[in-house]
Amino acid sequence: MTANQAFSLTPLPVVVPMAGAAVMAGLRKWLSRATVDSLGILFSAITLAVSICLLSGAVHAPMVYWFGNWHPRGSVILGIGFVVDPVSAGLTVLASSLTLLSLVFSWRLVESGSNHFQPLMLIFLAAMCGFSLTVDIFNLFVFFELMSTAAFALCGLKTAEPAPLQGSFNFAVTNTIAAFLILTGIALLYAVTGALNMAQIGLSLGGRHDSLVLFAFTLLTCGFFIKAAIVPFHLWLPDAHAVAPTSVCVLFSGLMVELGLVAVARLRFLVFAQTFLSHEPQLRAVLFGLGTLTIVIGGLMCYGEHHLKRMLAYSTICHSGIMLLAIGAGGAIGFSALMIYLVAHAFIKGGLFLGSGILLHRLRGIGEKTLFGKGRSLRWTGLLWFLGAAGLAAAPPFLTMTGEANLFHQASDVGSSWISWACLLGGSLTCAAVLRVGMHTFFGWGTEPITDEAASIGELPETDAGDRRIFWYQYLPTAICMAVPLALVLRPGWLRVASEACARFASQAYMLPLVYKGMASSGPAPVLSVATADAMWHGTVALVLAVLLACSSVFRSRIRRPLRLGAFLERRLTPLRAMQSGHPGDYVLWLTIGVATIGLANVLLFS
Amino acid sequence: MPHVLHLLPYLVAAWLFFCGLYGLVSSRHLVHSVICLAILQSSTYILLLGIGYRVGGVAPIFADIAPGTVTVDPVVQALMLTDVVVEAVVVALLLAMVVKAHEKSGTVSPDELRTLRG
Amino acid sequence: MRETLRVRLFFVFGGIFFLLFCSAARNLPPWGSYRGPYGDVIARVSVYERHATDVVNAINYDYRAMDTLGEEFILFTAVLGVLMLLRREQVKVNEGEKIDDRIRLSLTARASAMPALLVTVVFGFYIGLHGQLTPGGGFQAGVILASAPFLLYVCENTESFRRVTSHRALEVIEAAGAGGYAVIGLAALALGVPFLTNFLPLGTTGDVFSSGTIALISACVGFEVTAAFLLAGYAYLQEIIAGETPEE
Repeated sequence: MTANQAFSLTPLPVVVPMAGAAVMAGLRKWLSRATVDSLGILFSAITLAVSICLLSGAVHAPMVYWFGNWHPRGSVILGIGFVVDPVSAGLTVLASSLTLLSLVFSWRLVESGSNHFQPLMLIFLAAMCGFSLTVDIFNLFVFFELMSTAAFALCGLKTAEPAPLQGSFNFAVTNTIAAFLILTGIALLYAVTGALNMAQIGLSLGGRHDSLVLFAFTLLTCGFFIKAAIVPFHLWLPDAHAVAPTSVCVLFSGLMVELGLVAVARLRFLVFAQTFLSHEPQLRAVLFGLGTLTIVIGGLMCYGEHHLKRMLAYSTICHSGIMLLAIGAGGAIGFSALMIYLVAHAFIKGGLFLGSGILLHRLRGIGEKTLFGKGRSLRWTGLLWFLGAAGLAAAPPFLTMTGEANLFHQASDVGSSWISWACLLGGSLTCAAVLRVGMHTFFGWGTEPITDEAASIGELPETDAGDRRIFWYQYLPTAICMAVPLALVLRPGWLRVASEACARFASQAYMLPLVYKGMASSGPAPVLSVATADAMWHGTVALVLAVLLACSSVFRSRIRRPLRLGAFLERRLTPLRAMQSGHPGDYVLWLTIGVATIGLANVLLFS
Repeated sequence: MPHVLHLLPYLVAAWLFFCGLYGLVSSRHLVHSVICLAILQSSTYILLLGIGYRVGGVAPIFADIAPGTVTVDPVVQALMLTDVVVEAVVVALLLAMVVKAHEKSGTVSPDELRTLRG
Repeated sequence: MRETLRVRLFFVFGGIFFLLFCSAARNLPPWGSYRGPYGDVIARVSVYERHATDVVNAINYDYRAMDTLGEEFILFTAVLGVLMLLRREQVKVNEGEKIDDRIRLSLTARASAMPALLVTVVFGFYIGLHGQLTPGGGFQAGVILASAPFLLYVCENTESFRRVTSHRALEVIEAAGAGGYAVIGLAALALGVPFLTNFLPLGTTGDVFSSGTIALISACVGFEVTAAFLLAGYAYLQEIIAGETPEE
């Protein structure tokens, strides 16, 4: 397939799932469950195939695709464009593979609300693909809203839950406010530049950094930070995960949250590239501050959770903080750290969620205390679970370690090598939580687990009680999710291509001619190889610390009181836990506090 | 110092955004929260349309005027049409959630619905 | 958090936000002096390039047609979500059971209900067909047409409303409208031009059948919006009826 043929396929990752969803939703009353499931898997497989073609075409020569054949006229861009470069095509491959794995996992057994679930998943996939590919800022907003609406709808699937629909309501309110913040930012940028294409806006803004541009930057980044669950905008994420079905949680934690960070990176490197040229250290300070705060709060709350899916949601928040550190570090290597870590985290977190789905299906419970000791016969699930835990700590054989290696390299380049300790803390806390649950569930070690209100309410199983065997189509996606990060490390040829692509993505000087003329100029200087020794050491230490912390929780009755750090963290974090109150008014208040503080910081630091 | 009248639509938009957020923070009824979200959306409409206005410009409909007449900005109007549809359906979805929440737990007050505490 | 504390904190931080917004607004171009190139370029060329006199519609269905495709699917998804949320687990209302709530209306109301409905339907079709010439188009027409059966509900009774809106074909029409938009775009792809290019003959400016695919896409959107609002209305109505009938 020539590069030209590959590029005519550009709209397909968005249009194929949409058309498939329309067909399936229209005929859903007449089709059987098996037909709709197969159609869903078929359409996501086609999308995956198309995305892989796009990726191979983009690796040769990135190009821009103009919808409606509206090419730019001079410096004015009339139509909407999709930029197909390895980064965006890679994100569509990731989105389609995670959707395919989730749909395979939910084959036949998971309740689908009379065939509503599969079309919604396909629309979610289409929105994620469109979000990754587009270079028009209002189109980004439209796909953001489509992604959010599909997410709200998917959260409403389990209407018979004990916890009422409060979780999805909080999710919907917070993310809709995010959309309005983004739209206000878009409107302000449109007022001063008269453009809606990110490249044109970046060109028109130049080095301008008055209060208007800074406020637009605040609004846009805070809107995407809400989606990316950065503290203090993170409060909706655990609630949404507690009420969403497992396969949907895979997509939420695996990709939807991270796409918010990708959008912030795109804004930073393409739209606001020249705005902060003279204020790099301050920008770094703001982003590092937010990232570290997110890591600390996410990690501590993660360890204090006993509801499996809420715990994994908090670990997503913690790792989102690590990825924000990568954006803060900036530069080509910082961005490649973000992308490598994103891919690794997506598969590992997806695998952990699918594992918890298997536990929910087989053991009919999701709270740590309910599951205590019942998983002794589930050897394969246990193995995958512990592999996932090690991956979260960025232990040596996992791809997360490579991502952290890039991050530490860039951080020491800019003189902030202290952030490696923040990553260490985050990795060990989340790994410890997952290990603790694993030890309790799969081995039944230690004393009865501590529990809390959310975990004791628990969750109704998603599958019928009839057949409680674990099927191959539940194991296979989980195993694939854990195998991919390992496989990608063992065959590192793609890393060089990925680093070059990331370096180009992060360079406005490269992207502008690409968007305007469709021609890739010669890229920036080749990327140096990154030393991984430091990250290997950090990863191993994180894993060891995690094991110690988990043991101090599990075996708390056998060790002396002062050493019971784990139990202390599980029980005594009440002021922090009070933040997660479940009341939408509180969430909006924290949102306002966050936006006001970040906005004030921006105005004070950058004018 | 720009005259206040030059900025009035933008200040109105800012005020509406503030009011919507206040309503959400202090709300005691979920339906009231949803309507406050609609108020937030209205602030973006006013901002967009205010940005696109041109004094002396006519509507961008050339059915009865000569092409080339000075018009206001048609792009923001197209963006706003997209927004209106998005808002209407998100409100519908949120109200369906509220109805379902009431059916399951008999209350629509956020204070009484708090089973998802951290 | 107690409510008073929450509100007080909000006044502090919300006030900061409001002041930041105002200070940003000071750097906006003064109201009424739109300068940007995007709108002007399109307003100058769209009549010649697309034979469409309604520039806003030309932007929605041609220049930025991808946005409208996304927006249409947002509508589709939200209605799918409403149907899923409000689905009946047990059939509480027997489908065959008729609800007789014919109320006593005055002579004026009874006499004008049907004419009003006819006028609404005709007006809806008029707005939909003339979208490329004057303000209107698919979305507006869809909402007007969807309001016609609600006139039935208000002036007649629930049964006639239910007969119109519970038809199984409605979901198919909605999906066909949404899918039709994607198919029109794909047809352009099959002809070798980029997705959603206007490939039909453009006709004469000012004619109803002009501006190529703009009118066609507008029609698809109109069908989808009508069906979507009727489906959502019916789902809510079912919920109300289920709430009113006593539990067995």
